[in-house]
Amino acid sequence: MIRLRLIAGCCLLLSTSFAQAIDADELIRKNIDARGGMAAIKALKSVALTGKFRGGGGFEADYAERIGRPSLLRQEFSIQGMTQIQAYDGKEAWQISPFGGRKDPDKLPEDIRKSMETRADVEGPLVDYASKGHRVAYLGTEDVDGTEAHKLKVLLKNGNEMTYYFDPDFFLEIRVQSKEFVRGSEQESETDLGDYEQHGGVFFPTAIDSGAKGSSSDEKAKIEVTTIEVNVELDPAQFAFPANSPKS
Amino acid sequence: MVDVGAASGGVWKSTDGTTTFQPVFDKQPVQSIGAITVDPTQRKIVWVGTGESWTRNSVSIGNGVYRSADGGETWQHMGLSESERITRILIHPADSNTVYVCAPGKLWSDSAERGLFKTSDGGQTWSQVLKGPNLSTGCGALSMDPKDPNVLFASLWDFRRQGWTFRSGGEGPTAKSGSGLFRTADGGATWTEVGLGAKGFGPKPFGRIEVEIAPSNPDIVYAVVESTRSALFRSSDGGTTWEERDRSQSMVWRPFYFSNLVVDPKNAERVFKMNLNLIVSDDGGKSFTGAGGSAHGDWHDLWIDPDNTQTILGGDDAGLWLSMNGGTLWHKNHNLPISQFYHVSVDDQSPYQVYGGLQDNTSWIGDSQYPGGISNSRWEALPGGDGFWVFSDPADPNYVYFESQGGALVRIHRKTLQQRDIQPKSDRAGEKLRFNWNAPLHLSPNEKGTLYIGAQFLFRTRDQGQTWERISPDLTTNDPAKQKQEQSGGITVDNSAAEQHTTIYSISESPVRPSMIWVGTDDGNVQLTVDGGDTWRNTAGAIKDVPKASWVSWVEASPHDADVAFVTLDRHTFGDMEPHAYMTRDAGKSWARIASKAQGVRGYAHVIKQDPVNANVLYLGTELGLFVSIDQGRHWAEFKGDNFPAVAVRDLVIHPRDHDLVVATHGRGIWIIDDLTPVRSLGPDVLGSEVAFVPGRAEIQQIQAFGGWPVGDAMFFGENPSGDIVINYFQKSRHLFGKLKLEVFDAEGKLVDTLPASKRRGMNRVSWAMRGKPPRVPMGATISFAATQGLRHLPGDYTLRMTKNGQVYERKIHIGMDPKATYSLEDRKAQHAAATEVQRLFERMSSLNDRIVGLRDQARSKAAGLPEADRQRKALLALGESADALRKKIVATTEGGAITGEERLREHTDALYAAIVFWEAVQGLTI
Repeated sequence: MIRLRLIAGCCLLLSTSFAQAIDADELIRKNIDARGGMAAIKALKSVALTGKFRGGGGFEADYAERIGRPSLLRQEFSIQGMTQIQAYDGKEAWQISPFGGRKDPDKLPEDIRKSMETRADVEGPLVDYASKGHRVAYLGTEDVDGTEAHKLKVLLKNGNEMTYYFDPDFFLEIRVQSKEFVRGSEQESETDLGDYEQHGGVFFPTAIDSGAKGSSSDEKAKIEVTTIEVNVELDPAQFAFPANSPKS
Repeated sequence: MVDVGAASGGVWKSTDGTTTFQPVFDKQPVQSIGAITVDPTQRKIVWVGTGESWTRNSVSIGNGVYRSADGGETWQHMGLSESERITRILIHPADSNTVYVCAPGKLWSDSAERGLFKTSDGGQTWSQVLKGPNLSTGCGALSMDPKDPNVLFASLWDFRRQGWTFRSGGEGPTAKSGSGLFRTADGGATWTEVGLGAKGFGPKPFGRIEVEIAPSNPDIVYAVVESTRSALFRSSDGGTTWEERDRSQSMVWRPFYFSNLVVDPKNAERVFKMNLNLIVSDDGGKSFTGAGGSAHGDWHDLWIDPDNTQTILGGDDAGLWLSMNGGTLWHKNHNLPISQFYHVSVDDQSPYQVYGGLQDNTSWIGDSQYPGGISNSRWEALPGGDGFWVFSDPADPNYVYFESQGGALVRIHRKTLQQRDIQPKSDRAGEKLRFNWNAPLHLSPNEKGTLYIGAQFLFRTRDQGQTWERISPDLTTNDPAKQKQEQSGGITVDNSAAEQHTTIYSISESPVRPSMIWVGTDDGNVQLTVDGGDTWRNTAGAIKDVPKASWVSWVEASPHDADVAFVTLDRHTFGDMEPHAYMTRDAGKSWARIASKAQGVRGYAHVIKQDPVNANVLYLGTELGLFVSIDQGRHWAEFKGDNFPAVAVRDLVIHPRDHDLVVATHGRGIWIIDDLTPVRSLGPDVLGSEVAFVPGRAEIQQIQAFGGWPVGDAMFFGENPSGDIVINYFQKSRHLFGKLKLEVFDAEGKLVDTLPASKRRGMNRVSWAMRGKPPRVPMGATISFAATQGLRHLPGDYTLRMTKNGQVYERKIHIGMDPKATYSLEDRKAQHAAATEVQRLFERMSSLNDRIVGLRDQARSKAAGLPEADRQRKALLALGESADALRKKIVATTEGGAITGEERLREHTDALYAAIVFWEAVQGLTI
């Protein structure tokens, strides 16, 4: 038994606008312009996000994320005064998962490090993609829930892949699919993006819904970003593997 | 990596050795797959030939060849659009641009685009390098010499199916046929017919011929040849001379369905033949033994691992199988949802169950929802045969009616599984009842216990099948020219009931006026009685602009108006693949066409339903998808949902209580569209608005239920409907900038939740779990698991408010109790109050804990600032210790990650909270 979504099907009762053909570099240029332009993106030193995480069934957690140059990332999910941390300092990825009673930091394996490395790029992998060693290919258009979106494949230098879907009118990302390799096996995920807001001259999505590739909206976990600060001062120690275990 | 092509369910890709599969062909306009070939030098290049070539009566259609250069992520159509079906694609091992496509061609009509095609430029252009002598002969098989790719064998196959007959070969066992086996040594430029003469296949005519070169020794070639002396032949000189080998029944049975040969990659003497059972020979085809273990049977293909020939993947009528011991025993893959349903029905349980019959896989009963997901184990198989109509008996739900091919009908007790044959039999000497392969069984919508079944006569029972009355004369054309099934098959007779014709195919009793019964026949009649069967009138003549004798695939009496009815005509058996649907408003005196290719509807039509609530809404299932109209057929839109492929939709049922549309696909299982209510409200006012809330079905707060258990990754799970409150709204365009705010207020106007809103263009659905904020709890060593959840708000009145671009939209909703709840609203209020009291306990505990921790830390901090010998330091440290000891009575504090079993006040409170929050019927509890 498969659930068929009512949602997008009814879009077809509306008139459809068609995306014009475009090449990969032009699409990326338009996306960068749509995000605020190269100068604004290059001026980004760091981003700090806070908000709410919602899983299924009304489960909620506080969410925080900081990303900074050259390659810093820290994500936090907090419940009942405990905070789960995943962080990357450009070299090592690590985590603290306190909910089961252990608050010591653990190193994360290379496969996860690669994934975090991509997310730690504050300007995104499309900016200067060639000099970063990524390759891109335009794959035409594809329907994303009633929007005929431009599709761009990005082969990351680290071997993982991302597929971007851009709104045909505004050229912002509305969906990103990731293909990552865990011990050689593919793992695919999908993130829907929306509610863009401009901060520091750059547009950021404030609605971030993530799940397995092809998952329904109900099946996706949702992050609602409530505050965005750009170019905040970041403490490098927050991203490095803790030298000493934190106090209880 | 494993790629699987389904007969009518698309292409599936596994990157983990068949543990999981993903569909990769769903965006394409057809789903029937005849061939998949991976480029031998570039793994990411995949060719797919569409249109199954095992040409049974229910086979679907393709539209040519496709190529993917990225392992199936994107596809490019490469032509041969009119080929309809493709048997095999072979790629030159040293030149990816040279590709051969073996196309049998159209099954139901003459066509020129059939035979063997070759491209030398990667599919940009094609040349027909081998063609038959007539327009019904195409390519039946293809094999390439692994050492010299310019050497190929290809068979030509003369075949044709009509609604009432089939031929493989000519019109009879000795009639002229275009079939033969050919060999080329120059890449298809020139061909020589082989198998002729004294050391050949025996006298012509031939039917289907399968050919396979042994990969390990290309001098050895096998061919199974359909003729009046069907047999397996083996050549040991590259096809020059042939020796007859096995000619058992396994070489005779159904050549159009079972011809495929697969030779072991390492052992030229080991050859598998696809058959009713998989069979294998280890002596070059002299003798065969069974190799199908306990698999289903009706095999079609094998892949043998060239590095370890004990590992074999196989496909049969039940799906995909894996053998690790060379085909002795088989493991079934339960992760490919590619089942081929003919029909579907539902019952009135809560949650309701779904009943459906499958091509060659009996009928099944499954849950429409189940806590933890609908695993395969939530489906129960009924015994026997191909499954068609199956119904729960509305007069006694302990029984089901189960129909298999040819109208075989039994009534089965659900618990004891006793069954009784209740198919009506003729009581007249010499009379044969003609039941279609897919004979119609119809439950009266007005009278429980009354059902109909159609042969050439309409039968009715009013006592659940104990007795039947014949309530019509022969309603068909009774054309004797279409009743020669004993001669059907061409060279090899094949009379399995699949070609039974001049039969009743569809029945519909008017829900509005029980004496009105519509009947559609496979030979073009649309009959109506208005007096319960006393008299009949054929209304087909009033259907204009369509040839007579068109197959009436569906007739449907309107649930709103006795004079209104709908029919679909399926003309694919005449080679017409277009949709034909008609509506009458005057009880068949005139019919107007309401669905056509010009309206954007694709594929021959199987089923049409009128919405039981909104008479303007129609649902149409065709061979290539699901279509919906909101204006009685003036306009149609293809219903894609998130991910619905262009698969055949054979039957539709609208659940009368839950308003779900249950879709029976022939190739992708059962799909459910939860709650059609929003579709019913779509009209110019909604479609013209920027944002509009639209009503859903009556909202209830569903009871909490828990289930499911891990069964591994290699298992299909059906998704459940949302267990939450579903909020429906329409947006004219995708929301991209700024917050799309969706708030929920209670009856007192208090904001109770702010939801992440869906941004899509068109209809949107957002689930609201109705949970409030979780309680604040004192921090301990571990998380307090139950307390991560808030309380569910009480059923009652709420207001939804959406704020978009400064505009505010509101809708009031009422949320009721679940009828399955064993407790009252007053119970719920008591439970809610009790849980709220526990939340207060948590809050008080947290405040106390905060103060204790504050005191402890303050004492320790002050002590740290004093000299070691200071008396106050000692006292402060002691105070800190006392405070911490007190804290340790409130919360479990032992860290380290082990299972400490430590239970303190917080843990006890958490257990209490769980007991109350997850069972909402607490009564008389006071704290």
